[in-house]
Amino acid sequence: MSDKNKVMKKNTNPWFEAWRRLLQSKIGIAGLGIIVFLIVVAALAPVLAPYDPIKTDILARYRAPSSEHLLGTDGLGRDILSRIIYGSRISLQVGLLSVALALVFGVSFGLIAGFYGGKLDMAIMRFMDIMLAFPSILLAIGIVAILGPQLKNAMIAIGIINVPRFARIVRSSVLSIKESEYISAARALGAGDLRIIFKHLLPNAMAPLIVQTTLSIATAILEAAALSFLGLGAQPPSPEWGAMLSDARSSLQKAPWVATFPGLAIIFGVLGFNLLGDGLRDALDPKMKNV
Amino acid sequence: MRKITLTTFIILAVIMSVFVTGVMAQEQGGTLVFGRGGDSVGLDPIQVTDGESFKVTQQIYDTLVDYKPGTTEVEPALATDWKVSEDGLTWTFNLREGVEFHDGNPFNAEAVKWNFDRWRLEDHPYHIGGEFTYYGYMFKGFPGVIQEVNVVDEYTVEFVLSEKQAPFLNNLAMVPFGIASPEAVKKYGENYFKNPVGTGAYTLEEWRQGDRIILKANENYWRERAYLDKIVFRSIPDNSARYMELQAGSIDMMDGVSPEDVESVKDSDQLKLSLRPSMNVGYFAMNFKFEPFDDVRVRRAFNHAIDKQAIIDAFYAGLAEPAKNPMPPSIWGYNEDIEPYEYNPEKAKKLLAEAGYPDGFEFDLWYLPVPRPYIPQGKFIGQAIQSYLSEIGVTANLVTYDWATYLDKTEHQEAPTYMLGWTGDNGDPDNFLYVLLDKTNSNNAYESEELHKVLVEAQKTMDHDRRVELYMEAQEIIHKDAPWVPLVHSTPPIALKSKVQNYIPNPTGTEKLHRVWLEE
Repeated sequence: MSDKNKVMKKNTNPWFEAWRRLLQSKIGIAGLGIIVFLIVVAALAPVLAPYDPIKTDILARYRAPSSEHLLGTDGLGRDILSRIIYGSRISLQVGLLSVALALVFGVSFGLIAGFYGGKLDMAIMRFMDIMLAFPSILLAIGIVAILGPQLKNAMIAIGIINVPRFARIVRSSVLSIKESEYISAARALGAGDLRIIFKHLLPNAMAPLIVQTTLSIATAILEAAALSFLGLGAQPPSPEWGAMLSDARSSLQKAPWVATFPGLAIIFGVLGFNLLGDGLRDALDPKMKNV
Repeated sequence: MRKITLTTFIILAVIMSVFVTGVMAQEQGGTLVFGRGGDSVGLDPIQVTDGESFKVTQQIYDTLVDYKPGTTEVEPALATDWKVSEDGLTWTFNLREGVEFHDGNPFNAEAVKWNFDRWRLEDHPYHIGGEFTYYGYMFKGFPGVIQEVNVVDEYTVEFVLSEKQAPFLNNLAMVPFGIASPEAVKKYGENYFKNPVGTGAYTLEEWRQGDRIILKANENYWRERAYLDKIVFRSIPDNSARYMELQAGSIDMMDGVSPEDVESVKDSDQLKLSLRPSMNVGYFAMNFKFEPFDDVRVRRAFNHAIDKQAIIDAFYAGLAEPAKNPMPPSIWGYNEDIEPYEYNPEKAKKLLAEAGYPDGFEFDLWYLPVPRPYIPQGKFIGQAIQSYLSEIGVTANLVTYDWATYLDKTEHQEAPTYMLGWTGDNGDPDNFLYVLLDKTNSNNAYESEELHKVLVEAQKTMDHDRRVELYMEAQEIIHKDAPWVPLVHSTPPIALKSKVQNYIPNPTGTEKLHRVWLEE
């Protein structure tokens, strides 16, 4: 009986339900933990970093990890730990902002294409198909080449290449429920297009969108690192993780730590968002409800 | 730094003496795999300007005169001897007899005339396939200073110049002026750059573009046949990847050794280091078109702000010396008496304040996107300069482009400040000062009439001592105007497997490899 009571008391809000189940999955917790950690590090960077991340000291190049420099120094004598700490700000910022950009445009396109259908749908989705036909990093390189190599432009490029994924997800979920009875009912009650789109269609697409957003942040961090590695993203002396890796190439044999730690940082960040994405997928899956 | 140069000479001398006394016996045969940073652009030497192309064409072609190995002193090659008329306007060359091009056609005065006519006459039917850039550079346009080329007899050719040109002979020894087979140029036309035919020690066997060029020994070479049967030039763009291949043994030698790897080469039993005699300059230029770089006080402030020695210790593995002039001390006419702008941030700040920038300013600093012999780590050095300048309150934003764009944009004076460098072609001061800083050539809108007058007079003066005086004066003017921060003169390292023998790097950046042999 007591069990039944608990169930009765439980908040029936589906989002709360999902949150509860997320907290029950080990994967989700791990991902969440990593991300919270990253956010804290990024927020407290000036307090946590032992040195100025861009202050060079060319007489102290390639110092091995020691108590003075926990992760060693790079080719310009900068403290790697401090750079990684400040780099978390850049990576989080790139991940969040570029995915936000993709989200706004992708969702709009997907809703319009799915809801109105016909030639508009055709035009939008074929255009998305064309974008997907390019290897995404190549497309990003092309976009940055046009806009100029800057972190800001790299973010825009990563945002653009992620638009089609969101558009597809939203469109497919719109298509699947557009003809359902409650939409017809809403329409019969006189609801306008906008009301139907935002009150009924969009909330139904939320679950897959949240999962895709989380996973996209992971790939966005990776793509930003790749662009910076190629010299197309963050410009020196900015402590971007990918740029740090690129700088470390020439000293792989002499000073392996210069490449190792930024590499680990990228893995860590990407892993966090991927784990959270997996956890969210399980938590938001309607088929898993009440299991 | 002089110590290093001295040791290098001693080492070289010891190696040379070993050969002279013949302790080691040269061995015939084998294949040498040369790893380098990029593929050749083309194999018609007159049409290219990049070192990667010259490295290969140098093996395929000969020039009328040549540089003695390891120097820029001129020695006979396809021409056995020469004389110049009293007025300095007529040069007569006696040519070597019995020399054949790879396609079997004879080398003679007609062939020499045909080549020069092709290069200099814009209405020549085979003045095609490119812009003949180096001819224009060295002989001032088309037809330029070479007014006539006359065939006196089968093995005598005469050049008539429109004005005196002091570095004329040195210019003729430059790789771009390799003599091509006229029949082959006619046969291949626009595609000649892929089908080179010269008189050199090697012929082209195969060119897989972007990957490798394979040369094989010319059995009928007019000098002794080359020791090596084949040379393979492989393009491996990344310096560390190339070095790993050398360690793994898939290449036998490489240039563009990253300074980070110099220690490891020295420590290895399998490898050895060879140092190219320094004849280059790496510099940081300020563009007069962009404020405040039109103010000499700002340019001098920058000169005082950068610690060159620290940069050398950190980024050149010590293999360089700080520059105070735009040309290296290995070139005659170098002005020892110039007092360099010493590293002094306080003085720099004072100069900036005088110029009206006590709180500094912000500008774009272009850094080299690729490793070059004179600036092997552009990004690092760019960041080091940025941080030195921040100490005098100036904010530099680092900017770069891909290499081709970078060169193009700097040539069109679009860069406010930029890093670049130059490796000398022929050992003449003209090849640095006129080419880089004359008002007709400078990439940073430095347009000094005073300097122009001196440089042009030096070109037309045949008397060596007078030329030395003029170039000394030119360096004083440049020092006073401070259009650049001259950074370094580097000694580019080359790494070889220990079995590679008798490789003598030339200061010009490329050399013939026909005397290189492999010890088994």
